[in-house]
Formats: sequence, structure tokens, C-alpha cells
Amino acid sequence: MLTIGKVAARANVSADTLRYYEEGGLLAPAGKSPAGYRLYGDDAVRRVQFIKHAQQCGFVLAEIREMLSFKARADACCHDIRALAVEKKLELERRIKVMKAMSQALEDLIAICNDEAKPIDDCPILTALETSLGAHSQGQRKTLLGKRRTRQA
Amino acid sequence: MNLKLEVFSVPGCDNCAQAKKALKSVVEELDAGVEWRDVNILDEMDYAVELGIVTSAAIAIDGELVFPKLPTADRLRAELVRRLRRES
Repeated sequence: MLTIGKVAARANVSADTLRYYEEGGLLAPAGKSPAGYRLYGDDAVRRVQFIKHAQQCGFVLAEIREMLSFKARADACCHDIRALAVEKKLELERRIKVMKAMSQALEDLIAICNDEAKPIDDCPILTALETSLGAHSQGQRKTLLGKRRTRQA
Repeated sequence: MNLKLEVFSVPGCDNCAQAKKALKSVVEELDAGVEWRDVNILDEMDYAVELGIVTSAAIAIDGELVFPKLPTADRLRAELVRRLRRES
């Protein structure tokens, strides 16, 4: 049996991480020592490494728990895990698409600001942001303008 | 007017294959100008993301995600009939 410190050292994580995994239902100690310390079986290190690798692929703890539950189910098959992987890739690709759009929007804003010496009220980036804000709420625009004036004062 | 039915899935899924077979029979029974296209999500990931697909089996009709998960045959039939009536 391994103590929490030994599992943490072998898996290259902190003891807090192991306790966090335990709270998330991903890793349970096999028992406790007479003094009340957590004790883990030999498979704990392998399980922690599995969790870490899955996290590196973008899976969150709830999804990793689901994957681990598939391992324990007799009726589960490789397809169940593959479906989770495909769905995770769809989610990541969607997030990449959103972030690319955000990056492009920033690039457009940076491109319209060709004179960094302009006074703050003439800042084309703030004006462009206010224009789009104005479409949502005139009140918000006033608030933003007010903040700018306060900063200048 | 034809409806374009696109069924998104990944190859190798037996459950999906069986469900798709039942859904395809709905389209064949209707025999009313519904074009069926199997889409491999892994081959057309960008298109799947563009449509907002988040699960590994879904259906889009005329370029719109209508069933985020595979529907029952009855639900698909009802949706197709509704759209075909609207088009006629």
C-alpha cells in the first residue's frame, strides 16, 4: 500500500491534487492506516496518470469520471469512448473557431488605430467598441464614456 | 421541392448504424423528394462545427441542425411531413 505522498511523488502531482480527484469521485484510497492516513493500492499511480493524460486532451473531471465508469461496465465498448473523444473534439473545434473570431476582431481593432498619440476621446478602438456597445444599450455607452472622462480628469 | 437531410455520425458505431437504418426507411417510405446524405463527422469536422453539432450522431435538414441527437423514426417522419407540407 502507498501513502498519499508516495502516490503523489510517483505520479508527479501534489497531494492536494489527489485529494481533489478524490472529491471529484475519480480516485478513492483503498483504505486508511491505523493513524487515519489515506492508503492507496498499486493501481493508483496508473489511474492518476490516466486522469492527467485525459485532462491534457481537454476532458474535464466529470467526463473523465464517465470514461472510468465505462471501464467498469461490462456492456461498454470502445465505441463509447470514441464517441466521447469525437464529442470533445467537436467542442474544442467550436471553441477554436470562437477564439479565432475574437482574435480577428482584435486584429481589426488594432488595424484601425494608426495614431497612438491621439487623445483618449478620439481613440478609434474605444470608438469602435462603443459603436457596437451602442447597438446593445445606449445607457451602457454613456456609462463607458463617463468612465473615460473620469480617467482623464 | 427537395429536402436535404444530412445525417452526421462516425463510422464504426453499430448503434448508430441500426438507428440510421430505421431513419432511412422513413425517408424511403415517404418517397417525397428527401435527399439523404451520410456525413462522416471526422471528414467534415468544420461543417459539423459550423452547424453546431456537439454529439457524434445528429441530423441537419437544409443546412440547419434540427436533431442534435438521432430522433425516433416517428419524430423524424413528423418533422419531414411538416416541412414537406410547408414547401408544397
